[in-house]
Amino acid sequence: MIHISNAAIKRPKLFFWISGLLSAVLITLVVLPSLWPTYFPMLNALRVDTDPENMLSPNEPVRLYHDAQKKVFSLHDMIVVGVVNKSNPQGVFNKKSLADIYALTKFAKNIQWKNKQGKTEGVVSVDVMAPSTVDNMEPGGPGVVKFEWLMRTPPKTDAEALSIRKKAQNIPLLNGTVVSADGKAIALYIPITDKNISYNVAQKLKAKIAGFAKNGDRYYITGLPVAQDTFGVEMFVQMAVSAPMAMLLIFLLMWYFFKKASLVISPMIVALISVIFTMGLLIVTGYPVHIMSSMIPIFIMPIAVLDAIHILSDFYDRYPVFKDRKKTIKHVMKSLSAPMFYTTLTTAVGFASLALTPIPPVETFGLFVSIGVMMAWLLTVTLIPAYIMLMPESKFANFGMCESAGNDHGPMVRILNATGRLTYSGAKMIMIIVIILAGVAWYGITKIVVNDNPVKWFAPGHEIRIADRELNKRFAGTYMAYLVLKDGQKTVSLTTYAQKLKADMLSQPLAPLKEMAPQVDSLRALSKSRKQMINLLSEKIEQRMKTVSDQDWDSWDSSLTWIGDYLAKDQIFKDPKVLNYMSRLQAYLQTTGLVGKSNSLADVVKTVHRELLMGNEKDYTIPNSRAAVAETLITFQNSHRPQDLWHFVTPNYRKTNLWLQLKSGDNRDMSALISKVNQYFRDNPPPDNLSHKWFGLTYINVIWQDKMVSGMARAFAGSFITVLIMMIILFRSISWGILAMIPLTFTIGMIYGIIGLIGKDYDMPVAVLSSLSLGLAVDYAIHFLARGREMRKKFSNWQETSVAMFSEPARAITRNVIVIGVGFMPLLMAPLTPYKTVGVFISSILILAGVATLTILPALMRIFEGLLFKKENQKDVT
Amino acid sequence: MNHKIKLLLLLSFLWTVPAVAQAQGVKNPAPLTAMDIVKKANHMSYYQGKDGRATVGMRIIDSQGRTRIRQFVILRKDEGKTDGEQKFYVYFTRPADVKKMVFMVIKHIGRDDDRWLYLPALDLVKRIAASDQRTSFVGSNFFYEDVSGRDINADSHKIVSQNKNYYVIENKPKDPNSVEFASYKSWIHKATFLPLKVEYYDAKGKVLRRYAALKVAMVAGYPTVISSVMENLQTGGKTLMSYSEVKYNIGLPDNIFTERYLRKVPRKYLR
Repeated sequence: MIHISNAAIKRPKLFFWISGLLSAVLITLVVLPSLWPTYFPMLNALRVDTDPENMLSPNEPVRLYHDAQKKVFSLHDMIVVGVVNKSNPQGVFNKKSLADIYALTKFAKNIQWKNKQGKTEGVVSVDVMAPSTVDNMEPGGPGVVKFEWLMRTPPKTDAEALSIRKKAQNIPLLNGTVVSADGKAIALYIPITDKNISYNVAQKLKAKIAGFAKNGDRYYITGLPVAQDTFGVEMFVQMAVSAPMAMLLIFLLMWYFFKKASLVISPMIVALISVIFTMGLLIVTGYPVHIMSSMIPIFIMPIAVLDAIHILSDFYDRYPVFKDRKKTIKHVMKSLSAPMFYTTLTTAVGFASLALTPIPPVETFGLFVSIGVMMAWLLTVTLIPAYIMLMPESKFANFGMCESAGNDHGPMVRILNATGRLTYSGAKMIMIIVIILAGVAWYGITKIVVNDNPVKWFAPGHEIRIADRELNKRFAGTYMAYLVLKDGQKTVSLTTYAQKLKADMLSQPLAPLKEMAPQVDSLRALSKSRKQMINLLSEKIEQRMKTVSDQDWDSWDSSLTWIGDYLAKDQIFKDPKVLNYMSRLQAYLQTTGLVGKSNSLADVVKTVHRELLMGNEKDYTIPNSRAAVAETLITFQNSHRPQDLWHFVTPNYRKTNLWLQLKSGDNRDMSALISKVNQYFRDNPPPDNLSHKWFGLTYINVIWQDKMVSGMARAFAGSFITVLIMMIILFRSISWGILAMIPLTFTIGMIYGIIGLIGKDYDMPVAVLSSLSLGLAVDYAIHFLARGREMRKKFSNWQETSVAMFSEPARAITRNVIVIGVGFMPLLMAPLTPYKTVGVFISSILILAGVATLTILPALMRIFEGLLFKKENQKDVT
Repeated sequence: MNHKIKLLLLLSFLWTVPAVAQAQGVKNPAPLTAMDIVKKANHMSYYQGKDGRATVGMRIIDSQGRTRIRQFVILRKDEGKTDGEQKFYVYFTRPADVKKMVFMVIKHIGRDDDRWLYLPALDLVKRIAASDQRTSFVGSNFFYEDVSGRDINADSHKIVSQNKNYYVIENKPKDPNSVEFASYKSWIHKATFLPLKVEYYDAKGKVLRRYAALKVAMVAGYPTVISSVMENLQTGGKTLMSYSEVKYNIGLPDNIFTERYLRKVPRKYLR
């Protein structure tokens, strides 16, 4: 490894030229296709992917099922606009507010545009749910049933506004969904062609809302698609702010430590080129920039300067000894090249282990950070020495740690010296504390709650979070989950079905059925499906009916009906017993406290049934025959929105969809719901062996979380073992290898213990941190142990070695801890929680790992000196 | 088959029809006003013969190609005045689970129609009060108003263009809040005065719905649309409607169109 550094020392300019040129090439390769995609179709342009659904591979079964069901039930992702008025006693049910809502609905229905491919995008206007787009049905006096738009035109008086509220609250599908439970607020459900346009649509809605005269109305825009899309937009704003901030902070700290601005520019160059290389490579190879990969620069930068700080720190401390930059840097590179290479490898392995997770964006992230880390190492060991060589010797006058003052100068030096003494004299005490802390950490880990919620990726004060709270307080819920019920019976072959039909026809009292039965076999031969066969049979009967006498006609007509009903038996979701089961399931869901409201075909049937009768609550039931159910359904279809039915059931009535509104998008709550529903199906076996299956974004989130938790556990175990093996090889000793793993094990244990103790959810960023912290935290141990073992050769025992260890090597580690720890701090200012989490935890991991390295390792070396330094001790004896 | 080709086929057929209207056109060279044309078209669409019956089949096809069927017998009888009040009796035969359901309408001019629904399984006769007539007809893409006819005085009419074959009439609602469209255009065949195509537009001029006559036949001397389609361009669904066993002037008695006959099927006229 040392050879490339030496080459760089010999030809410093060449190395800068090469790196500069490579960066320029990569930048060109990204910029050209991104700005002029038509001219450079062979190159990959910058692609941004803000869709958390892509946390799962596009052909993941859960996503395929989700997409297929959305199509089957004509469902779209929705933007939810809530309107709340706290100052008016009637809430938004007043003349002015409803006029605004009417105008907004009309505006929303017209948000459409043609995309680049010429396809229309925007709001799916037919499915917009708003007071002016939904129907009201109610008894209109004795023997009269009334159908009307709930709000055809804005009300002329406040009293009219209240009557709209009364009507809406009477319709179960609207109550709690369009009108709030307290009757003060309204929610509009705006389906969109693609969730990636939700930010765009939301912006247009906001602009329209801004034009309304003030009357105390507050508009809140939410829904998972908005949250996800907004996150994507803010992610880039975020990266544009925090990455340069981190860079600036690191620069300032290094300047403080090494006092020479011109010198500390070199690690900045290394960091910048590393980022350009990594991100350039990512884009050029066609990977999209995802929520995860957008964090690559912020990871690469501090890691890239890690090694540089070791070099500069050592250089700073030793320059006064040699007073010659070439000699100094050669010496520094010689002592550091092995530990630097190993620390880089371990970091790379830590990140690369993320490739073991089954989550594509995490894989990409791990892979590219790993590449970036290796790249940063290569650049560090060449460009830093080269840079030093390019600086004139004269610039180094008065540079470096003054040896005379070195031993008792500055707080850092004093603290480190004291720590060194303490680790020797109080080694056992330290280990007792470590063991107690480890116990506490273990307890904390057992308390960890696995949970995530993309809406909570925003800080609590973010408008999306506020909207989320306000709307879920008043409405049944803005998080959607869908439960599909399906006929679970085995499909019988057409032949078997025909045989049964024939037998059933022969056993009927109706003479025409007996007469027609023998024709079934020949019709079966002509048909591909039951439907076709029965239709052919019906046609035959109809032909006959043209010629039969009036006396016989009735029995022929009844036979025709019998045949039609026979086929209709397959339409299980017209069956009252099935609909009643669904109603009971829904009633149960309501008792779980996890579901704000569920909407289903059963609710449609019950509502129409009630309104067809006198609108009394006692008739809010499923009628008791299949034909009566069919009549309520056809009555419903006489409305302005007959297509609404197909959101709940397929036209063949063999598959149904329960729309669940959840007040919480926490994966924990969705998981609880899934297991409760499973339990319900076990305890209450459904008719017709109905099977159930989930879809919806809230459900998908649970699936990817499950995959991530198990994937991360695998990645962690994988990288732990790999790093342990690397340590054993590096130190050529099992005990030294294990020793190297102790500080990081303690650190990770402590961090996760704290997460469990403070009740922070184990979410996406926390999960990702486990493997990467492993690679980073071991760095300090490697440096400490490598230098410690080397230094022990110069001294006769650990006591003396320890004193030397707590001078230059400990200072390098401490400077590193401070620079990197602080370098991640700008993430704390992020409005997006995952970045904050990453910032807090990386900083704490590094600081804790630094402290653990500088305390636990010397303490253990003191305790196990005999074992660890057997060779040296023997040498001393001989 | 696209609509242009269908229309061409239709036209070639219609030229062979010795249409009464054509002869009238020769006799009366004075140009027709938009209202004249609309009146004639209204007559041809809904008022031919004193009464009539037809077996109607509907195939409702959604954007995914999933099909549902409706089949009913429709009886019609006109009241005394020309192109005025009418009575409809619609008896459902398919799907099997809504068989015997009856829908009855007394169509009035200048005021809301009276509508009844008989639901046999629920054993209910209900009068339907609706705020407007632009609701789906039993789940199809035809509106109730498409089946019974829209009041010609509800819109203002204008001839926007004409050629050898068609008058193109633009119709704008007098009360824009009462309907979902901003305007509609009808292509009225000059020879027969049958509207062969109708398009409904939103305020931006985007087509919302589109009607097309697919097949016209001479039945007892009356040019009759026996196959048509209504597309909903917003949902992507469409409904094909076909008429069979069409008869005119069959002498339907008045008493069929009463509540009593909702439960007691007038089998004689439905067979």
